[in-house]
Amino acid sequence: MYRFSVDVITTEGLTKHYGPPRGSRGRSGGDAPIRALDDLTLSVQAGEIFGFLGPNGAGKSTAIRLFLGFIHPTAGRAHVLGHDVSRAGAALRGRIGYLPGGIALYDSLTGTQLLDYLGAFYPSPPVLRAGLVERLDLSARDLGRPIRDYSRGMRQKIGIVQALQHDPELAILDEPSEGLDPLMQRAFYAILDERRAAGRTVFFSSHVLSEVERVCDRVAIIRAGRLVALENVVELLARRRRHVEARLDGPVPALAAALAALPGVSAFEARGDRLAFGLDGDVAPLLRLLQGAPLADLTIEPARLEDAFMELYDEPAP
Amino acid sequence: MSGVLFRRTWAAQRIRLLVVVAGLAAWGFLLPVVYATFGKEMEALIQNAAFANILDIFSRFSGGDVFSIRGTVALGLVHPIALALVAIQVVGFAAAAVAGERQRGTLEVLLARPLERRALYATLLAATLLFAALTEAAVLGGIVAGALLFGVAGDLRATDIALCWLNAVALFGALGAISLAASVSFDQLGPAMGIALGVTIVGYAAEFLGTLWPTAAWLRVASPFRYFQPTRILAGTFEPRDLLVLGAVFVAAVAWAAWIFPRRDLAAPS
Repeated sequence: MYRFSVDVITTEGLTKHYGPPRGSRGRSGGDAPIRALDDLTLSVQAGEIFGFLGPNGAGKSTAIRLFLGFIHPTAGRAHVLGHDVSRAGAALRGRIGYLPGGIALYDSLTGTQLLDYLGAFYPSPPVLRAGLVERLDLSARDLGRPIRDYSRGMRQKIGIVQALQHDPELAILDEPSEGLDPLMQRAFYAILDERRAAGRTVFFSSHVLSEVERVCDRVAIIRAGRLVALENVVELLARRRRHVEARLDGPVPALAAALAALPGVSAFEARGDRLAFGLDGDVAPLLRLLQGAPLADLTIEPARLEDAFMELYDEPAP
Repeated sequence: MSGVLFRRTWAAQRIRLLVVVAGLAAWGFLLPVVYATFGKEMEALIQNAAFANILDIFSRFSGGDVFSIRGTVALGLVHPIALALVAIQVVGFAAAAVAGERQRGTLEVLLARPLERRALYATLLAATLLFAALTEAAVLGGIVAGALLFGVAGDLRATDIALCWLNAVALFGALGAISLAASVSFDQLGPAMGIALGVTIVGYAAEFLGTLWPTAAWLRVASPFRYFQPTRILAGTFEPRDLLVLGAVFVAAVAWAAWIFPRRDLAAPS
């Protein structure tokens, strides 16, 4: 097993522009190309679950389509599993599992027929199918029904199975938990954890912040086609602002002054025996200061990826 | 070529193909029956002065009639019913083969497999040619079976029948290749189907008009149907140039598709 040592995906200045919107030619300013992706440089390492975060239309699907060779870059390069994607073909895609966002399936086939059909293109057998089907609670009866009768969640589960059944080195999953109920989401996260434990890589596109926070090792945040952050999730959260509230046994002006002066503390408010403030960075200095203080209650709200995300999105567009 | 995709295409198309093949075989079988039963009487009836001009006009339109076994074979192949049935299977399939998958969103599921775009195209082209071969074989099979059963096959030569089949397959091979080239060029089924049906219907109309109206005869040069004349083949005056023209159209359509399809951006469905 290798882990965090080999780059599975690398991009250098990867850019994709489309022509001006139809009907806009000739209008003032209407000839500008659509910048779907601009100068994306990142690397995804073997054995990690990499989150690719951004709202709809940010460029996530464009990047994925470039990795799979569905579209061609305007500028820059991308290498996936050591292959230049603009030259690589079937051999590369044989090592990848892909779940498109809002997957469309062949409605006339049954679940089993679909998995057999899509699996038959790969040189390797679908070794993980039985386990995935069991984990995602797809019964033999379900798999024997035509896909046209499937609910959205069932379609998504079949989509996940078709992407992972041949044990791909790299799984590219676009909004994978869409339509899954909470129980199935948990089962899916466990599957991802197992992929990581097996040294497989997952490139995970989402706009659901909580799931990226739950499953990903690193996260790239993309906005209007540009990368605005690329960080380790744990480190990113450690640096985010927490909200702290303390209730003391009585007013302690010296402690309040010391807290207000603590590095990373902001928006400090003291009302009688209640103190409230924001805290950026490490909590250790705060805890040291509070040691031995007459504390009646202390609440430190955990940092959320959502806060980091919203903070980045509140900034002016790059 | 992809064997997996070919088997799936066959499985998805087999019921429609079976219906079309059965319809064409029945159509083909019916014509010698009509010829054997009423042909002489109908010819005598129409040969009177009142209808002579009409007969002349229709005998000039690809020579299809039910007054001779050769005319019956030609009619079986060039009649709009037969052409429409073959076009449903060949042109309809080819036009929808890629653009339909793209519109439904299933093309990206397919192309995420270890399958080259050119291999996908080659597989669908092979299926198109197979459908053309089978549907034309069904018409001719029906005609020959009817002619043999009713004892009117005397004038027919096996080599001429084989040449008719080859020329008909070349015609629908060319139309199928144009339709498939349109299919790989668009993200929506509408434009691809529009081009495929446009070429087929306008081509047929040009041949029809050019045959019946001498002033519009120049239109025939641009019609693919101009290069399939079963009457001439059955009379022993087959022109290899017809096959060459249809072959050139086929090659040009394949070259366009093989160039454009791998280079096209398949952006996210909007």
